[in-house]
Amino acid sequence: MIFLSVGTQFPFDRLVKAVDDACEEGLIYEEIFAQVGKSFYKPRNFKSVISLEKEVFDKRFREASGIISHAGMGTITMALDNKKPLFVMPRLKKYGEVVNDHQVAIARKFEELGHILVAYEAEDLPKKIKKLKFFVPRPRESGAELVAERISSFLSRVSDAC
Amino acid sequence: MVQLLKLKDSWVGCETVYIITTHVARDKTTKLGRVYIVGECNRQHPIRVLKVLLHCIRVVLKERPDFIISTGAAAGCIVCFLGKLLVGTKVIWVDSMTNVERVSLSGRMVRYIADLFLVQWPQLAKRYKNAEYVGTVI
Repeated sequence: MIFLSVGTQFPFDRLVKAVDDACEEGLIYEEIFAQVGKSFYKPRNFKSVISLEKEVFDKRFREASGIISHAGMGTITMALDNKKPLFVMPRLKKYGEVVNDHQVAIARKFEELGHILVAYEAEDLPKKIKKLKFFVPRPRESGAELVAERISSFLSRVSDAC
Repeated sequence: MVQLLKLKDSWVGCETVYIITTHVARDKTTKLGRVYIVGECNRQHPIRVLKVLLHCIRVVLKERPDFIISTGAAAGCIVCFLGKLLVGTKVIWVDSMTNVERVSLSGRMVRYIADLFLVQWPQLAKRYKNAEYVGTVI
């Protein structure tokens, strides 16, 4: 199963429709299950729900062979943590999908680093989505420990509060 | 939130209060300390900002934190300023990894009062004077 998730805060019809069209053309190798939030577009080729409880969402995520989503930091993090192949399409300001184009910048960075696949516009999705089947994301080495150490040392330097 | 919680080891052992914006994050934080849910806000909704502001003032005056650590955005920024102005809190800002080309609007404001200002992309540390890059949280 491929899990399509677009977040629940804002609609993202462009991605849901692009994936639905790709299914129609037989470009997607597996069954899709979608969490589409407040999107208006109703997909014809796969099952979709508005939102999922956190636990159910996590279960679907873990069971999926691949993930398709917007370029949100939350989904990217979760895909990297779970070593899932992830295909994203950034939300764009020009379509009113988000307030600025930060998702494009994130997508570009993580694509460069070999962590994710990206379609920057709906037209790019059909030819790029095929790669998802064989995509092995490069594992990411987190620097969380370094950042946490920096914060700890700051805390202990300026205070004995804890 | 995801990015912030990846850093929780750095404040283990301290008495901790979490100010969060939605119920969704409650489960993750109740185990870690006291939790206040102040509601979501952004600059498109000034009235909501005001509501969150009033709520945060009450929390900051009640808890009088020694430190505030935030990754943003609007609500985080508000709490940082309130802490600094009302009770002289030390402010640690970890700008979200979401901000690749420039620091978030909240971050650019908090930069002037932050005691430790961390960014997650090396090029940003070069661009902003007091910004430090030590690594990425993700």
